[in-house]
Amino acid sequence: MTMELRRSPLHDRHAALGAKFAPFGGWEMPLEYAGGGVLREHSAVREAVGVFDVSHLGKARVTGPGAADFVNSCLTNDLGRIGPGKAQYTLCCDDATGGVIDDVIAYLHGDDHVFLIPNAANTAEVVRRLRAAAPPSVEVVNEHEDYAVLAVQGPRSAELVGSLGLPTEHDYMGFATAGDLTVCRTGYTGEHGYELVVPAGRAVAVWDELFAAGEPLGLRACGLGARDTLRTEMGYALHGQDLSVEITPVQARLGWAVGWNKPAFWGRDALVAEKAEGPRRTLRGLEALDRGIARPHMTVYAGEQAVGEVTSGTFSPTKKVAVALALVDTAAGLEDGATVEVDVRGRRAAMRLVKPPFVKPQVK
Amino acid sequence: MIPDDLRYTAEHEWVAATAGGPVRVGITHYAQDALGDIVYVQLPDAGAAVTAGEPIGEVESTKSVSEIYGPVTGKVVARNDKLADTPEVINTDPYGEGWLVEIEPSDPAALDGLLDAAAYRELTES
Repeated sequence: MTMELRRSPLHDRHAALGAKFAPFGGWEMPLEYAGGGVLREHSAVREAVGVFDVSHLGKARVTGPGAADFVNSCLTNDLGRIGPGKAQYTLCCDDATGGVIDDVIAYLHGDDHVFLIPNAANTAEVVRRLRAAAPPSVEVVNEHEDYAVLAVQGPRSAELVGSLGLPTEHDYMGFATAGDLTVCRTGYTGEHGYELVVPAGRAVAVWDELFAAGEPLGLRACGLGARDTLRTEMGYALHGQDLSVEITPVQARLGWAVGWNKPAFWGRDALVAEKAEGPRRTLRGLEALDRGIARPHMTVYAGEQAVGEVTSGTFSPTKKVAVALALVDTAAGLEDGATVEVDVRGRRAAMRLVKPPFVKPQVK
Repeated sequence: MIPDDLRYTAEHEWVAATAGGPVRVGITHYAQDALGDIVYVQLPDAGAAVTAGEPIGEVESTKSVSEIYGPVTGKVVARNDKLADTPEVINTDPYGEGWLVEIEPSDPAALDGLLDAAAYRELTES
């Protein structure tokens, strides 16, 4: 089977900047740019400002009387914790097992309107599950290709977004609308930043405006390579690696994104039971003591005993050391600070268990 | 980006021949570009025996890892220890400061079996 990769409305802009492309979640997206590279693009976001085209991210709209209550009865986090104009990190779990179908940002517009940003590869499935469960009054629409999403991230992001005449003063996880744009104080980098949800037909104009204004601020176009090193330094989970239908929020230590007191959400029974019993494994941070980079699916050892599996791993450009996330068996009884070994292509690389984030977040 | 005076392997190493002495080995511009920002290099110690076509070390970037293959059979006589602290010179100067090792070939004629610049260009452009 061959599948045509979908392309962002900004594809030609990326090609003009000498992007290397990679398939991601069914989309062909920039991995890094000529003259940039993962390390330079990473530094731009930590020290100045970077723009990522993340138009591959899903978009779905849930509307109608009781839309927010309906979403709240499905996804794990409690929309009652936020008000209109705020977004929330939440999870779509399998009702039977509690495994994570996807992690999602939910933007609460009001009681009758919630906008969802799922991951590219999972959008159709999240929409399918919501639609199947929705009461007749609630409509769930997949708007995946109707919008582009531009993530403007870094300490100078407010200056840049503000220079386009867009609102920037709202709190972390808040959003504001400006004409046909939504400006969200969200991101996946650990820096102060914005995600601009832009009608697809306006994406090129907004991209060009950002680059016209961004040069004096040190703006760089950033690809998925830097997005991965930035999010890994924060310990943010990536669905398909650190989260999956085989991994529950309790195991991934995302209990903070579960409204445990809600009467209903998908996976509630399984997750409440797992929480009470204690998970058999949990997602932990690893920081290298040796050279070599732990990569997904490598085995974690305590002595001769296999105690876990790496789910994400890369080189931290900020700390100049390899960092990783791994699912580690609870039964091994390993505390943070303990030394473990990862089998890196037949060599044992010593790593220390640490509590993420690996680098201090500056999101507020 | 493919110097005419070097020899090449299909695994994207370059080899600089000298008259009768050891050969210098690195990875090509094409290889470093495909790897992206290189952050670790693992190289054999001086004195190590290497075999043509067998792995002798690794270069690792933020994205991926790639093995380095011995372009010729022989003995390692020098390695570029500066790469331990500044692996990025492989990206910025792959044919110069970013060299990896020097090998004394057991058969000086072994270089004749390697690709010339035209053949390597054809390989990477096809």
